[in-house]
Amino acid sequence: MSEEDFDVIVAGAGPAGSACAYTLAKAGKNVLLLERGDSAGAKNVSGGRLYAYALDLVDPDLRGRAPLQRRIVREQVMLLDGARATTLDHGDYGDAAGPQSYSVLRAPLDEWFASEVEAQGGTLACGMRVDGFLEENGRIVGVKVGEDDMRCGTVVAADGVNSCLGRQAGLFGDVAPATVGLGVKETIELPEAVISQRFGVKNGEGAARVALGCTDGISGGGFLYTNTDSVSLGLVLNPGQVARRGRPIQDLWQDFKLHPALAGLLEGGVSLEYGAHLVPERGYHGLPRNLHRPGLVVAGDAGQFGINTGLILRGMDLAMVSGLAAARAILETTGPDAVGPAYLTQLETLALLPTMRVYAECHGLFELSRLFGAYPALANEALATLFSVDGRTPPPMLTQLWQVVRSHVSLGQMLSDAWKGFRSV
Amino acid sequence: MPKLLVCYKWVLDEQDIKIRPDDLSLDASRAKGKLSDFDRNAIEEASLIMEAQGGTVDALTYGLPTVKASVKDVLSRGPSRLLWIGDPAADQADAYVIANVLAAAIRKAGPYDLILCGEGSSDLFYQQIPARLAALLELPCVSFVQKLTLEGPVLTATRSLGDGTEEVRVTGPAVVSVLGEINKPRIPSLKQVLGASKKPSEELPLAGLGLTEAELEPKALRRAPRGFLMNRKNIIYKDADPAANVGKLVASLEAEGLRG
Amino acid sequence: MPGIFIYSEDPRLAQQLLTPALELKKDLRQPVVALTTDPEAASILAALGADRVVVLRSALTSPEALAPAVAQLLAKEGAQVVLVGGTLRGKHLAAHAAAVLKAGLATDARHLALSDGRLVARRMLYAGLAVSDEELTLPALATIPPRTFPVPTQAPNPGVVENLDVLGDPRMTVFSSTPVQGEGVDITTAVRLVAVGRGFGHKEDLGLARDLAGALKADLACTRGIAEDEHWLPIERYIGISGQTVRPELYLATGLSGQVQHMVGCREAKVIVAVNKDERAPIFEMADYGIVGDLYTVLPLLTAALNKN
Repeated sequence: MSEEDFDVIVAGAGPAGSACAYTLAKAGKNVLLLERGDSAGAKNVSGGRLYAYALDLVDPDLRGRAPLQRRIVREQVMLLDGARATTLDHGDYGDAAGPQSYSVLRAPLDEWFASEVEAQGGTLACGMRVDGFLEENGRIVGVKVGEDDMRCGTVVAADGVNSCLGRQAGLFGDVAPATVGLGVKETIELPEAVISQRFGVKNGEGAARVALGCTDGISGGGFLYTNTDSVSLGLVLNPGQVARRGRPIQDLWQDFKLHPALAGLLEGGVSLEYGAHLVPERGYHGLPRNLHRPGLVVAGDAGQFGINTGLILRGMDLAMVSGLAAARAILETTGPDAVGPAYLTQLETLALLPTMRVYAECHGLFELSRLFGAYPALANEALATLFSVDGRTPPPMLTQLWQVVRSHVSLGQMLSDAWKGFRSV
Repeated sequence: MPKLLVCYKWVLDEQDIKIRPDDLSLDASRAKGKLSDFDRNAIEEASLIMEAQGGTVDALTYGLPTVKASVKDVLSRGPSRLLWIGDPAADQADAYVIANVLAAAIRKAGPYDLILCGEGSSDLFYQQIPARLAALLELPCVSFVQKLTLEGPVLTATRSLGDGTEEVRVTGPAVVSVLGEINKPRIPSLKQVLGASKKPSEELPLAGLGLTEAELEPKALRRAPRGFLMNRKNIIYKDADPAANVGKLVASLEAEGLRG
Repeated sequence: MPGIFIYSEDPRLAQQLLTPALELKKDLRQPVVALTTDPEAASILAALGADRVVVLRSALTSPEALAPAVAQLLAKEGAQVVLVGGTLRGKHLAAHAAAVLKAGLATDARHLALSDGRLVARRMLYAGLAVSDEELTLPALATIPPRTFPVPTQAPNPGVVENLDVLGDPRMTVFSSTPVQGEGVDITTAVRLVAVGRGFGHKEDLGLARDLAGALKADLACTRGIAEDEHWLPIERYIGISGQTVRPELYLATGLSGQVQHMVGCREAKVIVAVNKDERAPIFEMADYGIVGDLYTVLPLLTAALNKN
């Protein structure tokens, strides 16, 4: 057996890869972190919001150094219909004591995290794509990068939702359109003070919003996060339905971005960048059958770790936790064949798999097509009716409401949706 | 086995530089450092010679102290050793000063059989350093080279001068400036990138180069640059139907008096 | 004796250098001295206003070979300002002379002035993205791009022509030279231009642009890649930072992205139109009008519509 170049080679310097490499480097392992893009974060797009517990789990000192944007103190749900919007807004105006989340921008966040890996003694090499594996007797013993063979004890594939490495290793097949969402996102620059004022928060604090009814009936929704001096605005859509609808995604995007309810929030903003990305959406039932084989574990989006409950979108935190789980598994086992099972155990111990199981049926919500069109319309109509005064004798409130409801949906449909929705959550 | 030297500059990537619309000043805050484009070609050419004939390639640079960030990138492209001179006043330096500093460093670290430079740097594009260096070191200068071969002490080169090419020969040490078309720099492999950190790099303190104050005082002072902003109508037709777009454009051309 | 010296191996460019030299003479009150290797060019320079013309006689007459001798001459004469024609050869000579004179040199100066006893030269940075002024203490040199200044009108009293024998630098031998096969095309005077870039897949496809140019009574131009890499069009049609600069009434850019290095050559056109299939191509920010679409579809349609009368 020839000498190993590194103890561990991590493919992909996103949240999962860097969390893994950081933990390993800090524990004294010789780690190589490879990134396909010219810099860490170059190929990544997130909404996005990071639930900070994950960073704390990796290392409590990281949070103070991370380039986090705004601490989210207002959570909003917006139902859009035509030119109307109904928004539910929850804010904590006291001393926020509970768990925190922050809006983040991936380019600076990923670059920072990769630099933390280097600070711990890890080796970072960008502009390097892992093309394949080195195998011996059915075990993965390294990777091929261009014309170079790099040998190691364990490979961690953290190469994103469309993991070529997982496929090449035979752990799973191509990602199925039904299991992912197509996300598009734009970063819109606005002065810090303007954002704080428009969203009713202090500098350093921010709002997070999900929107329904903005996808032309396609399963999916919009999101908005306030960053320090920009706003992240985006849509996540069911790619199959987008294709069947036959409308270019640009059109759907413009409809959302130009919605009058958002216009006032975005006015004067300068578009900085626009990106698209696939996100794992199937939840627990979308997890690949195999997340490991001797010499290899799969972490982050590559393992399809994602939670979307409609209200909560989680990806980055799960990625970091899975990276940490992989690192711990490597550190506590001797002999690379034991890493895989230890990794799964860590995913249980760190609450990642148990949490995904709790939300396992949530994707059922996305099959309720009325959630994306009829119900937001209904909500807007109902409130518009309740709030409108024209001087004439109105019907009784409940009758009015019932009329509105019936004009959008039948009793049978409502009951069916309620039942399915109940079972999903 | 030739002893080669390549001079390079670490510049801001001009693609990241934005123009502030209110006063046309330049915003380089998002600009990352990069190896100047034609210096990349010079380093590649030197590496190719060394790979074919043996010998050594020293890389030399003068810049702000942050130039240290260039070491890994440059050493991953073939040079055997890197010499860097960091100076907080480097961004005020003009070609006169830069050539003085490089010449002094070369007198200290040399002599070299061949000194290679890029035709000009991507940011300021003076196109002066090679000929200035040659004059200061009393060496012949072969400029604007698109092809070169080194056989022992004989350098044969094809120069491309805009109105034609000429083939020249020089015997003995010389300074060469290369054009972008001379080669296509290879992308360093992972092993080359990892190996870069094992190669020697040395800081040459400016104070130790024996330069006088006069030699470090720029003769040309650069005033703040002003961005060139286009103020155009930006009327873009993007209908799904190309014929519709064409119709609108023809109408616009007519309105501008530009049809027919 | 101090003076304002000019030199270019290109006689036409040397004549153009007289214009800024004579302008500087008004402030500096020093004679304008032209250096040349060509006796015929010398008499024209004397007639156009040079106070003195020195004909350098040497077995080796290339600017590179003459550089050390010229530098020595400039030093001996105490030259205060030296303007050199900004061909590549001229730049080589100018840089050599600057090193010998321990002087500053402004590359590709497009505007010159004197201020507080310093030469102020305006030049471009970052491949044309920005413009900046450089203030040079005297003695100072500048290289000037061709066609930056016009040729001056005849002077009332012609200057004096003298000969000087000098030694060329023999260290570099030229053993063959191949002039570029130009087609004698000059697009710098074209009123309308259709420019092509890498959006065209094959040389034959340029026919689409030719047809469009015909319909517009325009001439053809191109980006650097098309001329220097692909050789689909002669180098005289290349517009950009090291190519031609044009100021037409209409510049119609097809299949080119609009990089700064190209646009710097045409950005003073009166109307700029772009056709490109990428909505995010930089050219659209620099255009008055544009069509987002495939040039293979759009160009024939546009040509037909323009031809329809």
